[in-house]
Amino acid sequence: MNKPLILVVEDDPPIRNLIATTLKTNEYRYLSAPNGKTAILEAASHNPDIILLDLGLPDMDGVEVIKNIRSWSNLPIIVISARSEDNDKIEALDAGADDYLTKPFSVEELLARLRVTQRRLSFMTAEMLTASSVFINGGLRVDYAGGCAYLNGQELHLTPIEYKLLCLLSKNAGKVLTHTFITQHIWGRSWDNDVASLRVFMATLRKKLEPDPNSPQYIQTHIGVGYRMMKVE
Amino acid sequence: MELPRQNPDQLLRAINNDISKKTKGKLKIFFGYAAGVGKTYAMLQAAHQAKERGMDVVLGYIEPHARPQTTALLSGLERIPAKRVSYEGITLHEFDLDAALNRQPQLILVDEYAHTNAEGSRHAKRYQDVQELLNAGINVYTTVNVQHIESLNDTVASITGIMVRERIPDSAFDQADQVELVDIEPAELLERMAGGNIYQEEQAKRAAANFFSVENLTALREIALRRCADRVNLLTESARIQSRSDYYTDEHILVCLSSSPSNAKIIRTAARMARAFKGNFTALYVETPAAAAMEDEDKKRLRENMRLAEQLGAAIETTYGENVPYQIAEFARLSGISKIVIGRSTATRKSIFSKPALTERLIAAAPNMDIHVIPDAAVLEYRPVKRKLPQVVKVRDIGKSILVLLAATLIGYAFYTLGFTEANIIAVYIFGVLVTSIITTNRLCGLVTSVVSVLVFNFFFTIPRFTFHFNDPDYLITFTIMFMVAFFTGSLATKLKENARQSAQAAFRTKILLETNQLLQKEKDENAIFRVTAGQLTKLLKRDLVIYPSDGKNVGEPGIYRTADSRQTELVTENERAVAEWVLRNNKRAGAATDTLANAKCLYLAIRQNSRVYGVVGICMDEIPLDSFEKSVMLSILGECALALENMRNSREKEEAAVLAKNEQLRANLLRAISHDLRTPLTSISGSAGNLMANYQKMDDTTRIQTFADIYDDSMWLINLVENLLAVTRIEGGQVNLTRSVELMDEVAAEALRHINRKSREHTIHVRTGQEMLLAYIDAKLIVQVLINLVDNAIKYTPAGSVIEIGMKKEGKWIAVSVSDNGPGIPDEQKPHIFEMFYSGANKIADSRRSMGLGLSLCKSIVTAHGGGIDVSDNQPTGTVFTFTLPAREVDLNE
Repeated sequence: MNKPLILVVEDDPPIRNLIATTLKTNEYRYLSAPNGKTAILEAASHNPDIILLDLGLPDMDGVEVIKNIRSWSNLPIIVISARSEDNDKIEALDAGADDYLTKPFSVEELLARLRVTQRRLSFMTAEMLTASSVFINGGLRVDYAGGCAYLNGQELHLTPIEYKLLCLLSKNAGKVLTHTFITQHIWGRSWDNDVASLRVFMATLRKKLEPDPNSPQYIQTHIGVGYRMMKVE
Repeated sequence: MELPRQNPDQLLRAINNDISKKTKGKLKIFFGYAAGVGKTYAMLQAAHQAKERGMDVVLGYIEPHARPQTTALLSGLERIPAKRVSYEGITLHEFDLDAALNRQPQLILVDEYAHTNAEGSRHAKRYQDVQELLNAGINVYTTVNVQHIESLNDTVASITGIMVRERIPDSAFDQADQVELVDIEPAELLERMAGGNIYQEEQAKRAAANFFSVENLTALREIALRRCADRVNLLTESARIQSRSDYYTDEHILVCLSSSPSNAKIIRTAARMARAFKGNFTALYVETPAAAAMEDEDKKRLRENMRLAEQLGAAIETTYGENVPYQIAEFARLSGISKIVIGRSTATRKSIFSKPALTERLIAAAPNMDIHVIPDAAVLEYRPVKRKLPQVVKVRDIGKSILVLLAATLIGYAFYTLGFTEANIIAVYIFGVLVTSIITTNRLCGLVTSVVSVLVFNFFFTIPRFTFHFNDPDYLITFTIMFMVAFFTGSLATKLKENARQSAQAAFRTKILLETNQLLQKEKDENAIFRVTAGQLTKLLKRDLVIYPSDGKNVGEPGIYRTADSRQTELVTENERAVAEWVLRNNKRAGAATDTLANAKCLYLAIRQNSRVYGVVGICMDEIPLDSFEKSVMLSILGECALALENMRNSREKEEAAVLAKNEQLRANLLRAISHDLRTPLTSISGSAGNLMANYQKMDDTTRIQTFADIYDDSMWLINLVENLLAVTRIEGGQVNLTRSVELMDEVAAEALRHINRKSREHTIHVRTGQEMLLAYIDAKLIVQVLINLVDNAIKYTPAGSVIEIGMKKEGKWIAVSVSDNGPGIPDEQKPHIFEMFYSGANKIADSRRSMGLGLSLCKSIVTAHGGGIDVSDNQPTGTVFTFTLPAREVDLNE
């Protein structure tokens, strides 16, 4: 069958084992690479569907691996980081990573991230095929050409900034967008006040979008990092 | 082959030596008893040897003697060009100190240690140049003759009959690290001189006649040898004191200062005594009312004598009073003086009121004291002192005296016409003299008024009237008594006034010092201390001043303090700043009214305690010297200031040390608690896993799942612990490292709940927020951790099924977040302790698990670091509410 192929880049054998076992028992095919150089080589020769990349590699910085791969491929990269500082996650995301996992992570979390990325993949391919100017995600429909958005058939009354935000998130659905990335796209700069404004607009957008703001369905918050539009079945 | 291993102690010592060498240069003096013994020659030879050893040797300054052998030795050594200074049309060659400091050689040769520099040089004396070189870490070779040493000056002069003007203080000689005596037989020296080796021909004859006789030279040689021996003695003595510290003399020698020319000799004698007894040495000046009337020449000589005493190592003290012997005796008694040194005729001719035999009166006043009386028969030629009028009598005073006389005469005339007796008129005149004495500043006015009163009385009221004749011979007695009564009344009044002035001054001094002390004690930071000091100094001196604070290495930004009627002189210029820097580096006074950099506008003094300089104060002199009273009070104020600064520094250091110790203690506690707490879950995890590996087949499914669940739970617990520890490292030691930004509280709460979800299956958790959007300026990660800890705590301490509620609302500039549960609540007696580290309810850190009392204390630290507060209270009807506040933030929306 068409089982997705995952490239696991991790230098620590027990963690590699853990991930491998998880993948095996959940119907994934996998490849593993213990360092950055092998990772790039394997990625180029086997063209995996998703890369799980540990940032702390013995031979090179994980961010460098991302940059290298991004120079020739768009394949999704999920970063695994043991460092609790947000900065390296943000750096990795800005370098082109799609998502991140912080050690220690649970098996369920890992699988959930893989599913999100897979959905995004399928969505992107569908999108590309239809070259659609309409984004549909669960009850949410964004009509880029018409410049309006609908939730469960009802038109959403959005301010210009809220609409811009929604477009940005929906076009990158499934991907974690950093605060800097978003503010750069909305305001063309990233000042302290912009980040603060972003939070407010995101909150108002959410109120209009989410049936229950306390357990958001569409927009996920990553404290200290950014936001992501989730794919809803 | 292996190199022999060096003894680490030796290595360390070698390194230490290197360091100390770097900090201060060594001084070697080539010491001779007369010109021509070959000091310069010996010094140059030594320099060549040093150069052969690989030292960087430079000739700083060598006197051009034109002695062929000496000149020959100059070649092959680098030479710093002499500075040309033109002085009154003559071009003088001087040692170029700045060039030497810039060149930074390892060793520099500077001839003639006792040389007096040309006017306008940085220092008045060359030995001060040398000291600066030493301070800069440069080693110095120099030469000096015995007659240039201050304390030997009189002795040498008494032998040779020549007073040497160029002198160095004994300390400058004794501080040398090495003294090499350059010795030669006197006869040989005379031969050499005849051979023209020393002075050029014409000088040789003159010199030989005056100075270079065999007897003179032998005597000088003896003095030089003895001085060298003394120095060695002093060194071994001090070494012995250092090593055994049982050697101590309580000899304290006091010398009395005066403006007398012979006083210098007495000071030197006393200094020699102090040295011989190895005792303390104090010089005392008793300022009498008469001192104010001292002529300029005397004042200058007094200042010179004071400076001499200071140079010879005396502590200078000043007291005030009419009765000189009493003052000396009192001072001696209070200061624990054992020996008093005075001149035979000191102070006798200075005050009309002191009786001639000061010595005797002193003996009477201080019967327990050794008193050494030094004969005044000076070797100096007697210098007759022209006595001018003590002070120009002010016109205003004359006017006042005349007015009083006029008034007295008018009243007398009225009495006369009314037919009162003459006695009444005399009384009026005496009263007039009394008034004059009080209202005028010069005592001469009282005296003159007494005489004039008698004359006027004679003129107007005795028969025959309007003549200076009198018929009745009784009047002679009347006049005499009238004069005497008037005069003594007047003098008494003047004296009283003087005393009042002095006690007012003393009271003022006490007041200002007390006030300074009190003000300084209140101040807590450096700037305030400087401000108070400056305020007190301007109040005292009525001069502008500038204070440069210092960290001990550099002078900081100066603070300028001006008086109300300031002349607004520019006080901070490049030049003035340089003087202040010099004072800081050398820990010595400089600037106006000193020997060093005397062309500065201000007098610069170091604010110092022991050897540490806390700042430099510059006092604008405007060419008016400070009087001794002002000076002594000023020094006391500066001392207070330095003391306050030192106290402040000490207490700051102590606080820092205490904080450090506390942190160490916390760290130790933390490690202990963590190690303990890690052991329990790790035992469970490894045990369970081991069990599974060994007995997997034997276990039934329920047991297996239970074991897996245990492993999972314990590792989750460890993960949470690690999260807390990471947070702890960020706020460790009170130095919080917050990465703040504006965050939406809803998002923060949601993030916290995301981490808790799994464990909260048996509890119900609500988040309650209003419609309002709550933005806080926080470190999101840390606040998430606070919420996790509080909710975790609630889960941990409440039974399954309890309800936990997170509420958030805005209260002014703060956002109040509460985490409440409906569990059993916390007993009141535990409430005060729950935020303490490692406190975990009733169970002490024993073998009970999950005893990590880190969570709440961490919450408190984090919230405090954000400027907020955290509190615990009871929930109604049961349960606990934790409430904490965070700074709210408004946002300007970028639409």
